[in-house]
Amino acid sequence: MSARPITTVKTVVAGIEEAGAGIKLFTLADPDRWELPPFKPGAHIDLHLPNALVRTYSLCNDPADNTRYVIAVKREADGRGGSRALHDEIGIGDVIGVSLPRGGLEPQARIARYVFLAGGIGVTPFLSMVRHLERTRQADFTLHLIVREEVPLATHLGSLVEEGRIIVHRTSRSGRPDLAALVGEGGSETMVACCGPESMTDDFERVTAAWPAASVHIERFIAPPPVIDPDAKPFTLSLARSGAEIEVRAGQTMLAALQEGGIDIATSCCGGICGACKVGWIEGKPVHRDRILSPYERERYLMVCVAGSDAERLVLDL
Amino acid sequence: MLDTISAGAAQGAAQLGWTGVVRFLHLTPRAFLPMRAAETITLVAGKGIEGDRYMIGREEGFYSHKPEEGRQVTLFELETLVALKRDAGIELGPEEHRRNVTVEGVPLNHLVGRRFWLGETLLEATRLSVPCRHIEEITGKAIFDPLINRSGLNCKILQGGIVRVGDTVRNAA
Ligand code: FES
Repeated sequence: MSARPITTVKTVVAGIEEAGAGIKLFTLADPDRWELPPFKPGAHIDLHLPNALVRTYSLCNDPADNTRYVIAVKREADGRGGSRALHDEIGIGDVIGVSLPRGGLEPQARIARYVFLAGGIGVTPFLSMVRHLERTRQADFTLHLIVREEVPLATHLGSLVEEGRIIVHRTSRSGRPDLAALVGEGGSETMVACCGPESMTDDFERVTAAWPAASVHIERFIAPPPVIDPDAKPFTLSLARSGAEIEVRAGQTMLAALQEGGIDIATSCCGGICGACKVGWIEGKPVHRDRILSPYERERYLMVCVAGSDAERLVLDL
Repeated sequence: MLDTISAGAAQGAAQLGWTGVVRFLHLTPRAFLPMRAAETITLVAGKGIEGDRYMIGREEGFYSHKPEEGRQVTLFELETLVALKRDAGIELGPEEHRRNVTVEGVPLNHLVGRRFWLGETLLEATRLSVPCRHIEEITGKAIFDPLINRSGLNCKILQGGIVRVGDTVRNAA
């Protein structure tokens, strides 16, 4: 029996391929090659790496290829350590826990043409999209790839470059291209998307700012911030019995904050109906949101999976 | 008074009033992975389903850190899927509810604490299943609320064997 709940999808590294320019492609698969949870074109996953590093990478394979997650990782010597850990420590057969895939584009029938702008390794979120569009032929696409000199994943992109569906712009030779010219006019049947360094995505935003939001769809492939209730405020939990103080970030659940603080709480439904995570409260103004406690019970208990706080401080009987 | 069902009409009706059928069988080896359809599954008494995430000795399910006898095999009513579509406009497939056996014509909510035959295997229902937010995350569908009180049945396996699609489900008196 595992002592802790399973919170990630268990994968093993089934392949590692050197793709040039300091990039490695990692193929993750289920240990029994079972189908993996599905993903949308452009989606990303979190990798839970050794040393408690959690890093997000775009999925590069066609979503129809449902037994593999392929990610491209560029080794960043001065990065925060995720790419180094993957490049230097991870080998074939290693087990890596990953999150369920998030984000991506829901392919829409009304879109006839996609224009993608990618800066360097920022090409990765477009790869699954491009493969999906190539296979389904549901829309036309052009991917403008802006690089200094070297094309990342050149061997994988080669045929698309030859077909003219990927247009490479080398800034070392011709300077930075005019994004406005690349995205063109837009229109209700066109979707434009950009991924690259911040200066590039800022430019992109400026260039498309005046476009009518209704007729032009803009997607920016940066990991979406966690969905936060706009009214949610951070608060402090003080635990009466252990004396510990735990900060709950705006929009975080009390349960997540307690777990981060190393406190084991039994849970089951995580939605306020099963009663597993009931905890007594002593002082404060809890916002209950559960659907099992009676008004009487609410005077002394709350369900930490859904409850919030209306005051800065909430004292729990823990 | 409400601690037991009276030995009168209610009990008699529940015992005599139904015969059901196995419509779909599904399993998956690990938490979060898609359920795969099967024509037959093998139940092992006291343990679980061969190859499933909750099989004792495997324990790779979302709830495996909290072992429970009744998780050896789980059932779900086909009628609930039909009702979800009819009443809430939600199309949920039998591979999406994450229970192992989808049955038709079996009043699962009446069976807690009782024994019944699933094909050649004998089960004892331990409790009703509770929906879990986790299923919304996996399916991307807002089904938590509509599944309250009809999220299936947890059972332990008293007598193992092979269960096939089309098998009969009936009360064990
Ligand atoms: S885990 Fe079910 S109510 Fe909190």
